[in-house]
Amino acid sequence: MLGAAGGGVSFEQLSWIAACVALTLLAGMATLPVWVTLTVAGVGAVRLGLAARGRDAPPSPLRFCIAAVAIGLLFLQFHTFNGLIPGTALLSLIAGLKLLETRTRRDVHVLTLIVYFLSLATLLEGESFWLLVYLMAVCWLTTSTLLRLHDRDPRINERWRESLRRAGRLLAQALPVAVAFWLFFPRLGGPLWQLPDNGGGASSGLSDTMSPGDITDLALSDEVAFRVRFSGATPSSEERYWRGPVLHDFDGHTWSRTDAGPNAVAAPRLTFSGPAYRYTLSLEPSPRHWLFVLDWPAQWNGPQASLSADYMLLARDSPVEPIDVTVTSYAHVSAAEPLSPAMRGRDLAPSPGNPRTRRLAEQLREAHPDNRGYVRAVLDMFHEQPFYYTLHPPRLGADSVDGFLFDSRRGFCGHYASAFAVLMRAAGIPARVVTGYQGGTFNRFAGYWILRQSDAHAWDEVWLEDQGWVRIDPTSAIAATRVERGLTDMVAAGAPLSSRWQQRTTWLPDLRLELDAVRLFWRQRILEFDEHSQERLLAWLHVPEPDTQKLALVLAGCLIAGMAWLTWQVRRELTVRPTDPIERAYARLCRRLAAIGLPRMPHEGAEAFAARVGGARPDLAASVQGLCRRYTALRYSPLREGPLGASAAATFITGVRGFKPRDSRASSGTGSLANAPPSIPG
Amino acid sequence: MRQAAITRLTRWSERRHGRDTLPLTVHRRRIYIIPTRFGLALTGMLVAMLLAGLNYNSNLGLAFGFLMMSLALVAMHHCHRNLLGLSVDAKVETDCVAGAPAVFEFRLRNDASVARCEIEIRCAEDPPLVAGGSLVTVPAGGRQSAIVEIPTARRGVRHLPRFEMRTRYPFGWFRAWTYVQIPLTAFVAPRPHGDQALPPATGTAGSAAQSSAPGDDEFSSLRDYQAGMPLKHMAWKVLARGGHPAVRSYTAPAAQPEWLDWCTLEPQGTEDRLSQLCRWVLASESAGRKYGLRLPGLEIAPSRGPTHRTQCLRALALHDHSESS
Repeated sequence: MLGAAGGGVSFEQLSWIAACVALTLLAGMATLPVWVTLTVAGVGAVRLGLAARGRDAPPSPLRFCIAAVAIGLLFLQFHTFNGLIPGTALLSLIAGLKLLETRTRRDVHVLTLIVYFLSLATLLEGESFWLLVYLMAVCWLTTSTLLRLHDRDPRINERWRESLRRAGRLLAQALPVAVAFWLFFPRLGGPLWQLPDNGGGASSGLSDTMSPGDITDLALSDEVAFRVRFSGATPSSEERYWRGPVLHDFDGHTWSRTDAGPNAVAAPRLTFSGPAYRYTLSLEPSPRHWLFVLDWPAQWNGPQASLSADYMLLARDSPVEPIDVTVTSYAHVSAAEPLSPAMRGRDLAPSPGNPRTRRLAEQLREAHPDNRGYVRAVLDMFHEQPFYYTLHPPRLGADSVDGFLFDSRRGFCGHYASAFAVLMRAAGIPARVVTGYQGGTFNRFAGYWILRQSDAHAWDEVWLEDQGWVRIDPTSAIAATRVERGLTDMVAAGAPLSSRWQQRTTWLPDLRLELDAVRLFWRQRILEFDEHSQERLLAWLHVPEPDTQKLALVLAGCLIAGMAWLTWQVRRELTVRPTDPIERAYARLCRRLAAIGLPRMPHEGAEAFAARVGGARPDLAASVQGLCRRYTALRYSPLREGPLGASAAATFITGVRGFKPRDSRASSGTGSLANAPPSIPG
Repeated sequence: MRQAAITRLTRWSERRHGRDTLPLTVHRRRIYIIPTRFGLALTGMLVAMLLAGLNYNSNLGLAFGFLMMSLALVAMHHCHRNLLGLSVDAKVETDCVAGAPAVFEFRLRNDASVARCEIEIRCAEDPPLVAGGSLVTVPAGGRQSAIVEIPTARRGVRHLPRFEMRTRYPFGWFRAWTYVQIPLTAFVAPRPHGDQALPPATGTAGSAAQSSAPGDDEFSSLRDYQAGMPLKHMAWKVLARGGHPAVRSYTAPAAQPEWLDWCTLEPQGTEDRLSQLCRWVLASESAGRKYGLRLPGLEIAPSRGPTHRTQCLRALALHDHSESS
């Protein structure tokens, strides 16, 4: 009754399956409670220790007690077994407890199923390529263990290498079918039922306030903010301003924004002109709602998003997983309608304090009554007077703008943008601070731009009556290289050693770019593969009007083809094909003659066969007899070894390859009887 | 119900294939395959994997789930392939005595370049009760014998209408099997039993002394070799010592045929008489004497050797034996 599944389990089989359990747990250890891992490890060690001494599993009351205590503890910790982490923890405990009681092959079978499922549970929240590779390797080992339970031949079972080879072969045969499944199995686009929330990971990035410390922190971070791929023209470095939060409210130290009030109204209309840039943003998950777009966004698709009055593109939901958005932006715009009084009032609000700054503004305003001249004068001041760019400016007092403009004169983009906006407002020009990213690194291996947190930037927009909002980057006034090359070039001192070293070596940034390209491919093509990707795939395969039904049809087609391919694969291993090239060529000759109705009889030698063929088909007689004579010589002539034999073999093989007899039966009709092989009497 | 389903399936396959002839090469049309209980558990797990992958919208999870699904499909093909093209030959008749197992030998030949692992041969009775099984591996391009022992309890004939080759290789997720519709017959002689003395040999002691005849059994002398003499009698040691080629000659012992006669037995039950006769047959055979058997309505002329012994034992097994038992 027990048949193949019953029977005892050897120490060796036990240690194999224990290794599989351990390796699977290793991958998911980070999310499991520590005591669960320790319990499973301890229980596994006890079982292996007992087995090594040739002893059986511990008695069942003891096992039951351990199981009850462990599962009870788990419930006390999570208060539920629902959800990924409690479920995985429970499954891990069960794997350990099952290992403890393993005494038959049936138990090992159950353990392999648990190991397979644990691997899947680890992968559900994982995103790493290496995790997948690692768990596939564990799956290979588990499959080998399973195979060894059924390989009772001691000659084979001795060699674990042979088991690995066989299991690897089976997995390799499974791979193409698995790929077809993965590509064409219809994705739902959403969960089947609500999942318990794991409370998404916090991620850094720009916030909707700006105080001097913020961008310093970001500037030292290499973390990727987002990636952009342009279709068509790429704007120059001076135009690549990716706008994020627009800040209006200044309390003397920090700029901030509130989404209520004038921002809640629709964006004022713009007249677009100049070149249009079309690009796809690949955004990382973030708790924020805004999407970083190039000045000035005109059209977009992807998630539901809307433009605010100050031209921020706000997604309805913050992206909890990586998303792609395609946007079209225009470099040049002009306002189609005047600034609303509410917005004008907001962007003219004077800042508290900073008396010296206000006096400076009055002086400049007297010298430059027109707005353009005033803006120019302020920028010239930054350019001509000794303003420095540093990531480590001295601390400023209560009147931060006064302190920066007149005392320290050292700061980074945040300081300059802040001081510039205050100067503008003091002179009656509506101004606001825009934070976002500037520039980016081009990945020339894959043709896209990477925007890192270190590309974070702050600049201003001022309202000029005839033009509308105009972007002014005061930081570029002090040092033009800031805009040309990015922030790290400007770091006067105190930059981490690693980043300076990276700039001297040329290959390391290249390597980093290549790795990033692979990472983006992995993310966009594998992790984010969804129903839209499937539609594109079907369109690429020239399936008209792709939808889920067509997808199911293609999947069914792939499945049928896959089964046929598998059948061919497994049967191919059954036929013994000659390894000798001469023998193979002779077999081919016989096959070709059999195809035209002249099969070689089992009792016939080469020459006798050739004679019969010559009788039936005089047109073929010369060539077949020549080939068969050559074959006989190659097999039996004393000259067959040596250089002469080798060249004769080559002639024979090419001769067979070129021998393509035409079937005369179809054309001659009645000739078929004459050509049929002679029936053997009796 | 399960039993009934199996009965129906075997009847159907019997109608489908008809009677088989040995040696038989397993054709794909006669291989059946279903998932085992373990395979059903795996199916449940695969469904759970699919739901989990879809629900968590995890492409990596789905990839792993689909790999397992494909592995199950591959395993199915390999399980089916494990029987495909295997040749089987069998000894369809065997003899034994009641209480000892009837031994059937199956010879499997594998012409393929892959080994056939975990082939199980089981004999089926009618109604289909599995009577015994044996698990073997046939190496690539090799042969392997499988011995199946069927327990016997009573004298008579044991008919096994078919046997079955099955396999769970490679993972135990599927079971592929094929029925071979060839009746196997075990002749079960009565259990040797009884303590009556052998009947005296017919004929006189005097004639026994003279009737020493050339035979195969006892060594008597060396003779010169002549062409045509059996080589197995060659005295190789003599030749090796440098002597003339010589052969050993033998004489058969005085062999008076003895009659093992139903009628000479003390009146007792049929089975006891048959048991006594069986014991005599076995004793005479192992002593190398000639013996004949007389049963009511049957007489087997005196002889000896394995064929004769089999003939006698089958006569004992079949005596007064109705096919239905």
